[in-house]
Amino acid sequence: MTCAIPLFSISESSACAEAVAPTIDADAELVAQLQRGSEAAFRTLVDRYQGRVYRTVYSLLRNPEEAEDVAQEVFVEVYQTIARFRGDAALSTWLYRLATSRALKNRRRAQAKKRFAYFTSLLGFGNEVLHEPPDHAHPLTLLEGREQFELLLAHIARLPDQQQVAFTLRHEQELSYEEIAAVLGTTVAAVESLLFRARQTLRKHVQPSFRHV
Amino acid sequence: MSESDIRPDSDQEWEGLLGKLRTQSLAQPRPFFYTRVQARLATATHPAWRPGWVRRPAYALLLGAMVLLLGGDDTALAAAGSAPVAASAPAPR
Repeated sequence: MTCAIPLFSISESSACAEAVAPTIDADAELVAQLQRGSEAAFRTLVDRYQGRVYRTVYSLLRNPEEAEDVAQEVFVEVYQTIARFRGDAALSTWLYRLATSRALKNRRRAQAKKRFAYFTSLLGFGNEVLHEPPDHAHPLTLLEGREQFELLLAHIARLPDQQQVAFTLRHEQELSYEEIAAVLGTTVAAVESLLFRARQTLRKHVQPSFRHV
Repeated sequence: MSESDIRPDSDQEWEGLLGKLRTQSLAQPRPFFYTRVQARLATATHPAWRPGWVRRPAYALLLGAMVLLLGGDDTALAAAGSAPVAASAPAPR
């Protein structure tokens, strides 16, 4: 069974939308306060989730400035639309869903912009130099295994969207299969399949360097 | 690629690599994140007021064209033909 991914009305997919969060009661109370317009509650929400939202977006974009920008957009959207949040999914599920969809949207926009800039440069419109985005490689990549690690990051970025989201939520955010299924609006079996294919692809590309050490 | 090609310890290396992925994902937003969210929210909820039609390029272009048509004198029209010049010349005494 695959479930649609509406932001607010996921009651029909409750079976696959039960992200288990340790603070689910606290979150329910927080949502109630937010819906009453409490600014303190909004601050609490940001404090509680800024790390998770930022890291999720960062793992999909690999750029701190863009990740910050998108994370801010997520919280602005939460503030503006919290009145429509019905509580069918956990608050964390909703936030992960907003974060991943906005990050992917941002990436698609950036890729389209880059393609357009390349196209116009081929046609000779504008003579500005096309700058490559800055490389914000994490210091860890400078340590042992840098090449393998960079190779892994490069191939994660090339995975299909759903596989990439599932893989990063599992291996970077350490979400359970059930939580990932809720975020993606799908079933646990589908998540297993996505993760299997993602791992298979990644190992195929990263594995050769293991074999010939 | 057959499984036999893979060294026995490649699973460990793979797990090590995934471990690195988890470690590097401990990134945090810069300090005062909430302040920046608030600033963004203020901009989002109170955008600079502009009438809706101003934001539509077609209306803006039409407005520009109308200004050019109605606001200009008849010099351009006069240069286009002699008849309008005669029409706009002062009446003989």
